Amino acid sequence: MAKITFYLKIYVKILGQDIKSRMSYRSDFIISMVGMILTNVAEIMAFYIMFQNFNSVCGWSYYEMLFLYGFSLIALTPMQCLFENNWNLSMYVRRGDFIKYCFRPINIFFYYISEIFDIKGLGQLGMGILTLIYSWNKLGIPLTFLSMIKLIVALFAASLFFIAIMNFAAASCFYLINTGFLIGTVNKFRDYAKYPVTIFNKGFRFLFTFIIPIAFIAYYPSLLLVRPAEVAVLTWISPIYGILFFYISYRFWMHGVSKYSGTGS
Amino acid sequence: MNEQAKTFHAFNPKAYLTLMKSSVLESMQYRMSVLVMLFGNMMYLIIIYNLWKAIYASVDTPTVNGMTFADTMIYLVLASAQFSFMEAYLVWEMGRGIQNGDIVIQLIKPMSYESFQLFLIAGGNLFNFVVTFIPTFFIVQIVTDWAIPMGINLLYYLVAVILGSLINFAVDYFVGTICLYTHSVWGINIMKQILVTFLSGATVPLAFFPETLHKIVMFLPFHAIYNTPLTLLIHNDIPTCEVGRMLLNQLIWVIVMIIIGKIFWKLSERVITVNGG
Repeated sequence: MAKITFYLKIYVKILGQDIKSRMSYRSDFIISMVGMILTNVAEIMAFYIMFQNFNSVCGWSYYEMLFLYGFSLIALTPMQCLFENNWNLSMYVRRGDFIKYCFRPINIFFYYISEIFDIKGLGQLGMGILTLIYSWNKLGIPLTFLSMIKLIVALFAASLFFIAIMNFAAASCFYLINTGFLIGTVNKFRDYAKYPVTIFNKGFRFLFTFIIPIAFIAYYPSLLLVRPAEVAVLTWISPIYGILFFYISYRFWMHGVSKYSGTGS
Repeated sequence: MNEQAKTFHAFNPKAYLTLMKSSVLESMQYRMSVLVMLFGNMMYLIIIYNLWKAIYASVDTPTVNGMTFADTMIYLVLASAQFSFMEAYLVWEMGRGIQNGDIVIQLIKPMSYESFQLFLIAGGNLFNFVVTFIPTFFIVQIVTDWAIPMGINLLYYLVAVILGSLINFAVDYFVGTICLYTHSVWGINIMKQILVTFLSGATVPLAFFPETLHKIVMFLPFHAIYNTPLTLLIHNDIPTCEVGRMLLNQLIWVIVMIIIGKIFWKLSERVITVNGG
């Protein structure tokens, strides 16, 4: 317990420093935020245009699709805001700057990740919440204490999956040389999380459920609220699976660190 | 740099060709990244194929707004292939150059910064066109049993895609110039990318846009980057005068965008204050 409070204290301190330094570039903050929101608006426009011409996607209506989209935006926020430093890992490792993290008497993964807080992710969070409330209303989902609990648990589980996927992509740089481009490719998977996994045939459904588990970012957890009658077994195990998957990615990351030997300078 | 050297290089095509060659050679160094990019593109294709198949399953008619499922797929696949050879991340390049000061090295070269970048990008584009677009084109042809006509439309496409690349370059150059005023390269670049891919019809084909939106989009330069070349490539029943009109529209946008970019750069050049220099 003392350890947890100790780590929490450090986390707040390190994060505070980063936020302070970022707030000194106010225009940068505003422009990034607008860019983030514009991205989401364009994606909603794409949905809107599609549904002007077509009635449904695999039986999913416009508002159900918006719900999935809003849900996925919120679930992707923890990765965007708190684990952003994964993006720079391959650069740090290649240049040899990573060595500075190895000399701290605290968990390396913790220290490395807590260094950066990406404020622009909050724009995405805001858009996600707005989209979710809007579609929630239109779908007439009852607003009860139980549904809120379900939503929070589902979001928590969902967010772990994308963090884990990005951990894998980032930590690959410990095993292979110069994999900076890999994380960009893997990051694109986030765009595919907003579609119901039922659009795929069996093979791809398996791929997106167990191997690259993007179906857990929005589809399986959303079923709880949007289509309670169709809730799959996978929905119920998603919190446990999420924690497990995250843990494996963490071990993979840490194992990579143990292989790291600097650049020899 | 004296005037003589300037005029010498301005009329020396060798300098430009060397630039193009160097960027082709550079691209060839990143084989691993090409493989990963290929994997990423394949995933994208799998997703949009399944998505649009599911979407088309929701309507009874095979044609929606003049587009069949096959038309939509061919359009989107080629749009993504075109994106991967055209996108040169010039805004990033300029933003980085401005922030770390490297841009001054290029500014004192006896060649305008704009032509320097243009020819560097042209080399990379050419390389990527050969290794990504042409194979994708033939895969599409084989999968769809040669659905794209192999006639004069190929020539139209080549002309249109060169003009489209020039507009894309001019837009990038303009947006890159904005980086002289702000350090938020990420934000500027993402806004540009979203506006260009969405308004050019690279994400959703323009044929599906509601009428008012469609009209607005046609007044902007972006549709000439993706929609015009791809339309010319896929359909071979467009009357010649219509083809001429479309190409002329592109040419006008090339000229307009390059002039706007040049004026904006000239106005902004004096604000360059790199690292206290």
